[in-house]
Amino acid sequence: MAVASLAHDAHGDADQLYIETRELRLQGFLLFLVSDCVLFSSFIFAYLYLRNSGQGWPPPGIHRLDVAFAAWNSVVLFGSGATMHYALENYKHGHWMRYMWFLLATIVLGAGFLGGQAYEYTHLIYGEHVTWSGSGIFGASFFTLTGMHGLHVFFGVCYLSVLVLQSAAGVYTRGKYFGITAGTLYWHFVDVIWVVLFSIFYLI
Amino acid sequence: MNIVLVERLGAIIAGIVVGVVAFYALYKDWQATGIENNVFKLMLFLLGIGAILALLAGLNVIGFAPPKGA
Repeated sequence: MAVASLAHDAHGDADQLYIETRELRLQGFLLFLVSDCVLFSSFIFAYLYLRNSGQGWPPPGIHRLDVAFAAWNSVVLFGSGATMHYALENYKHGHWMRYMWFLLATIVLGAGFLGGQAYEYTHLIYGEHVTWSGSGIFGASFFTLTGMHGLHVFFGVCYLSVLVLQSAAGVYTRGKYFGITAGTLYWHFVDVIWVVLFSIFYLI
Repeated sequence: MNIVLVERLGAIIAGIVVGVVAFYALYKDWQATGIENNVFKLMLFLLGIGAILALLAGLNVIGFAPPKGA
């Protein structure tokens, strides 16, 4: 049904209301991303300030985080950003099946990243005894920031799953697909935030 | 095979693939205009930077890995 809808709408059947409101929706969504960026920035700068005001980092008794697994888990998430980009590109060019495969690959990679984060949390909590409330600034900062990011990834996976269902039901056409564009923007945003978190927790 | 080595190899190979894909997509979209496409270009650039960082971390050039058995 969705394929038929794409073919039917090859020249775009976006109604007047959609055309008139699309730019506003886009601007509203970008403002939402900017506000989310401010939220993350406030926590990131608080972490950096506290890190540099203490005596040595990480605090005594806590090992530095292992970068090997984090690097692998990071490229899983960054890879999902690439697949999401190509999902949108394929949708724009009318390749519906390729769009669906790339979208499903994005969901799988996003879920894989969450699984990796759960594994790392388990290792830290039970192996290294680093906890949110019992390991001072380090534990509080790490679990708050990565947990908040993980929650964003989880919501992103849910959103993309809804996109799969909506696309299969033929909700989007070649002229009207703002939901897919918003999903791509959100997913790229989540990726970019992880670039910063990966750098400040594992690399510096 | 050592699990850390597997993770590093995965990070290196996937980092190269993702980096190339991100910068190629950026190259292809370079001429595109409008707010949306410019935001995409910025995010693809940062995605490529992230892939390079993961690649360098996988190569042990940056970051920290505990010694074996620590």
